[in-house]
Amino acid sequence: MLKLLQNEWMKLWHKKGTWVMVALLVVITAGMMGLTKWIDTQRTDSMNQVGNASVAVSVGEQTDWKASVEGELAGVRAQLEDTSLTKSERKELEGEEKVLDYRLANSIEPLDQFSREAMVMDPSGISGTVLLLAVIVAAGIVAAEFSQGTVKMLLTRPVKRWKILTSKFMAVNLFGILLMLIGYIVLVALAFILFKSGDGQYLVWNGKEVVEGSIWGKSFYMLLLSFGSVFVTSAFAFTIGSVFRSSSLAIGLSLFIYFMGSTVTMLLSRYEVAKYILFTHMDLTQYETGYQMVEGISLPFSLAVLAVYVIVFLVISYTTFVQRDVKA
Amino acid sequence: MKPIVELKNLSKSIGGKLLIDNLNLSLYPGQITGFLGPNGAGKTTTIRMMVGLMKPSGGDVIIDGVSLRDNFEEGMSKVGVIVENPEMYKYMTGYKNLLHFARMHKGVTKERIDEVVRQVGMQNRIHEKVGTYSLGMRQRLGLAQALLHRPKFLILDEPTNGLDPAGIREFRTYLRRIAETEGVSVFVSSHMLSEIELMCDRIAVIQNGKLIDIREMSETQGSFYYVEATPGERVEKLLAAQDFTVERFKGGFIVNAEQAQIPGLVRSMIAEGAEVFAVQPHKRTLEDEFLEMTGGGQIAETLTK
Repeated sequence: MLKLLQNEWMKLWHKKGTWVMVALLVVITAGMMGLTKWIDTQRTDSMNQVGNASVAVSVGEQTDWKASVEGELAGVRAQLEDTSLTKSERKELEGEEKVLDYRLANSIEPLDQFSREAMVMDPSGISGTVLLLAVIVAAGIVAAEFSQGTVKMLLTRPVKRWKILTSKFMAVNLFGILLMLIGYIVLVALAFILFKSGDGQYLVWNGKEVVEGSIWGKSFYMLLLSFGSVFVTSAFAFTIGSVFRSSSLAIGLSLFIYFMGSTVTMLLSRYEVAKYILFTHMDLTQYETGYQMVEGISLPFSLAVLAVYVIVFLVISYTTFVQRDVKA
Repeated sequence: MKPIVELKNLSKSIGGKLLIDNLNLSLYPGQITGFLGPNGAGKTTTIRMMVGLMKPSGGDVIIDGVSLRDNFEEGMSKVGVIVENPEMYKYMTGYKNLLHFARMHKGVTKERIDEVVRQVGMQNRIHEKVGTYSLGMRQRLGLAQALLHRPKFLILDEPTNGLDPAGIREFRTYLRRIAETEGVSVFVSSHMLSEIELMCDRIAVIQNGKLIDIREMSETQGSFYYVEATPGERVEKLLAAQDFTVERFKGGFIVNAEQAQIPGLVRSMIAEGAEVFAVQPHKRTLEDEFLEMTGGGQIAETLTK
């Protein structure tokens, strides 16, 4: 199996397109960071002008964050009034309340969104680019063997077909993981080069007290969660590509699903069925950022739903690939 | 002799249409068997089932005593395949392509790859991308990949497509050599009847999904002579009177005479006052026989493909 994977990896990197993809990922990630930096400088410029007018910049900023934390706290408290909250939701909100309270009491600023720490803490922005590129590879890895005619060479070997398909699926995921890591390294490097460390602190409620949270721990966790959508979408593209032997169809459908997914979820969010559709669960970072589209779902539930979908995709992919009569 | 490959009641139907009907065939070590048939007779389908690209609807393919249905990996480890134009990964070098396929077999070393590269005479260009190769070179590379794991059975579908005459000849002698020295059983499907005739020990003919004939090429098919003499009717009567079977052919006759009978035959014709223009040995080509067996018709199409 290792040799088969080695083969797939070799074929992948001998295509020029693969290198172009890596270059694109680096450029796009760097571009996004550069853009953020530009927005940041625009913001500080205008703030400085305002600050000069009212003389005391530091005082202005300080009251600024206190007001927003107070506003946030009021929001959390209002939410806590709601009696229909589940236990875990209540617990989470109470933790937030504790952290916000602690900030006000000890005058600890939250992290500025343009600080180096905040950039590192949320690397999920790279997953969109990675997903696009991983889907292209996933869609083509089986389909290309058919379109080039090499499938005849590949399948007349003393290797069972399911093994060949497995090696291809593993190569796709390995490629996805590699892209995530490359994107992450670029992002972190630029966060350090372009952005200053902020004055604020990242605080979390550990159940007993408010403590300073680990920025890197959070960063890796977010990276892992954002890989979820890459994995699921590339599994989908892989399935379509191997069933219909057309990579363009697979790329098209996968991206359509990726972009239309949230719209469909929004439309259906009032109904129970929304809990079971794929799109609701694709973005696992929703549990960290708090932008949940559908109520009453949790991370374990999402993982279970995604697992069922991925298993269905793979069963379809394997059965068609193993049974297929190769004619062309 | 124990056959290397046995097709047992092999059948295939697609969409209710029976493409291959109860095919039985045995292939022996050291023998080159040609596989002939008009277009759509089921040659390609049969070959695809023998190499695991298609699943038989009934029957079985047995390679060196192992059924492909039960143990695909062990059976296929003894088979080398060239299916039509060998399509390789164009963006990789010839060597990387061979490495790729070598990894899919057990026990193919780097030395073995180099050896095969030398055997097919590719050592000068093996490290160039396959995309830059000519069709003939791709054919050589195709042969190389089929030989990597020293197969006991080599199956070739239209192997000489795109080879120049020298290449075809070299290919033929090469196949002969590995069949004789290494006892490899070779199965060749081709439209080029003259090619099959030169290359094969045995031919199997398929038509409408059924095997209609298997024959040894070395089998004596009787000796024939072509006789051209006038006046036609008198000569025909004379020959028939001497118990020869006579058949009109072009301007003369085909007579099943032995060499020793020829002087007597000529003398009798001259004694009858016939004008003799030609008496020459006549060899029936495979094409004649093939047309006879398959009833012609479709052959024109077959040959022009």
